[in-house]
Amino acid sequence: MGVLLDIEDLHRVYHVGTEDVHALAGVSLRIQEGEYVAIMGPSGSGKSTIMNIIGCLDTPTSGRYRLKDREVSSLGDDELARVRNEEIGFVFQTFNLLARADALHNVELPLIYAGVPPAERRRRAEEALASVGLADRMKHKPNELSGGQRQRVAVARALVNRPSLLLADEPTGNLDTRTGDEIMALFGTINAAGKSVIVVTHEEDVAARSRRIVRLRDGKIESDLVTESRAAVAGAR
Amino acid sequence: MAIDFQESTGIAFQALRANKLRSLLTLLGTIIGVTAVIAVISLVQGMNHYVSDRLLAQGSNVFWVDKIGFEMDNDKIREALKRPDLTVVEAEAVRDALGRKAYVKAEAGDNEEVKYLQKKMHRIQIKGVAGDFQLVDDQEIEIGRPLADVDVQRRRSVAVLGSEVADELFPGIDPLGRSIQAGNRRFQVVGVAKRKGSFFGESQDRYVQIPYGALLKLVSYTPSVSIGVKSADAGKFEQVMDETRAILRVVRHVRPGQPDNFGITTPEAFLGLWRNFTATAFIVVIGVAAISLLVGGIVIMNTMLVSVTERTREIGVRKALGARRGDIMLQFLVEAVVLSLVGGAIGVALGISIALLVGAVSPLPAAVSGVAVGLGVGMSALVGVFFGVYPAARAAKLDPVDALRYE
Repeated sequence: MGVLLDIEDLHRVYHVGTEDVHALAGVSLRIQEGEYVAIMGPSGSGKSTIMNIIGCLDTPTSGRYRLKDREVSSLGDDELARVRNEEIGFVFQTFNLLARADALHNVELPLIYAGVPPAERRRRAEEALASVGLADRMKHKPNELSGGQRQRVAVARALVNRPSLLLADEPTGNLDTRTGDEIMALFGTINAAGKSVIVVTHEEDVAARSRRIVRLRDGKIESDLVTESRAAVAGAR
Repeated sequence: MAIDFQESTGIAFQALRANKLRSLLTLLGTIIGVTAVIAVISLVQGMNHYVSDRLLAQGSNVFWVDKIGFEMDNDKIREALKRPDLTVVEAEAVRDALGRKAYVKAEAGDNEEVKYLQKKMHRIQIKGVAGDFQLVDDQEIEIGRPLADVDVQRRRSVAVLGSEVADELFPGIDPLGRSIQAGNRRFQVVGVAKRKGSFFGESQDRYVQIPYGALLKLVSYTPSVSIGVKSADAGKFEQVMDETRAILRVVRHVRPGQPDNFGITTPEAFLGLWRNFTATAFIVVIGVAAISLLVGGIVIMNTMLVSVTERTREIGVRKALGARRGDIMLQFLVEAVVLSLVGGAIGVALGISIALLVGAVSPLPAAVSGVAVGLGVGMSALVGVFFGVYPAARAAKLDPVDALRYE
């Protein structure tokens, strides 16, 4: 297994009025391919900022960020879009599905931007939906689906273009406990199949599913611990 | 560009359907602009065809000579009325001089009440004719016979009726041989002319044709005649006109260097006037349409800006999933164009309907042309592109992090 991402002395400064806010003040982090990492921290700790940078939605003020041996910290907008399309699969707290489009079309979106021809993208989207257990919900619009189903559509969308990394931001924040557990179980299965997973969360329960917890505070890494194996966690319950 | 047009148009139609009323209101300006252009172009073109058809049907190689000529200016008309009258003798001189090169008729007119038994018609045109009137006017006879040279020479009180006069005075009766009264004179009907139809709603069949000499008995003065000349060889039209002018200058004693004391009117002169008139109407309507389209475009731009704001989050999601600036730009540009094209299509349909409706209920004819439809569609597409660029560029420039956070 190679290195998935390598972050070195990352700084991100926001200008708020006349003040400079150091959202990230020198973060270094290396994550191997196939890891399952939780990033935790109270609000204002910088966890959203680092998620945006890892997800190539934002670029750092200084420092280096190598994703799969490629320096991405200084890429332009369109190049970052391409990296997001090919390497990152996003899962958001509020699902962020397109309300007017059915499940199938939502899952097809990354493939449309990847330039995959219609027949193939349809086939791959159907496959992805089937793999999250929604083979019978493809023509349903988001408002015809339950919260858990919506999040599974989002997971299918995140995985459909075979990214290197599944990046989730509070994926259970809008779900009840049982449905949240189902989604986290799905993440476990995905990771077990070899996909790197990073979950940004403030819920200990969710973080406990991972095998490594990185805690941030005031823009710096407070702790970076490898937890017991997932099996052990499950057994302890 | 990764995103294809099909995807963009699909999104555009979804967005249109989602906000039907707003879309319709947005399109009002474009609809009005395109409707105006299509309706006016259709009507003006229809009238152009009609006018040139009818004028050419009268013979493109016919011209008329009278005291005034083709003149629109009131002062000049008043001046021209002081010229000496044209006479039937001068018409004869022209006819003799031109010989076989042309057919020449003389005609003078009067309006009189026409009666047969109890039936009356008011203000019927009485045409007193001489010369080659049948050939110059392309007159065809339905029943009976045309006026003959001998009728004209002997100033006989005989008449050929226009078809409308015949139909009204003699419903179901054979008019041949019967006597009608025109003014204070009686004329024996010898023939009925074939129907010619109407020109701009005015019937061309409401007349009574009598020999020129007979007209003189009816009216108490000698009217100025108008001379109609038809070139036997259409190719020598100009030459015949030049010769006619030269002959008339001699017989009417116009000294060299002096202007003509008569006027020549050609079908082209009528057409030219007509085209001038329609060109003015055109410019006015194009101006109105341009303003409507400008306003329509600004409204479209406003709606698109609202749409971009409303869908900030969607833009963020699309960017997170890999949409590049160009993809987002294209999506919103296509949406603006689809929006304005729908307006254009409605405008084209409305414009054609209006033109056809006007054509059906009024004597104004309408001609729907592909050019007009193409123009309407093209204009609305241009409006969409022009006014869609700015909102689309705003959408494309959105920062993905901010857009995703937008509530």
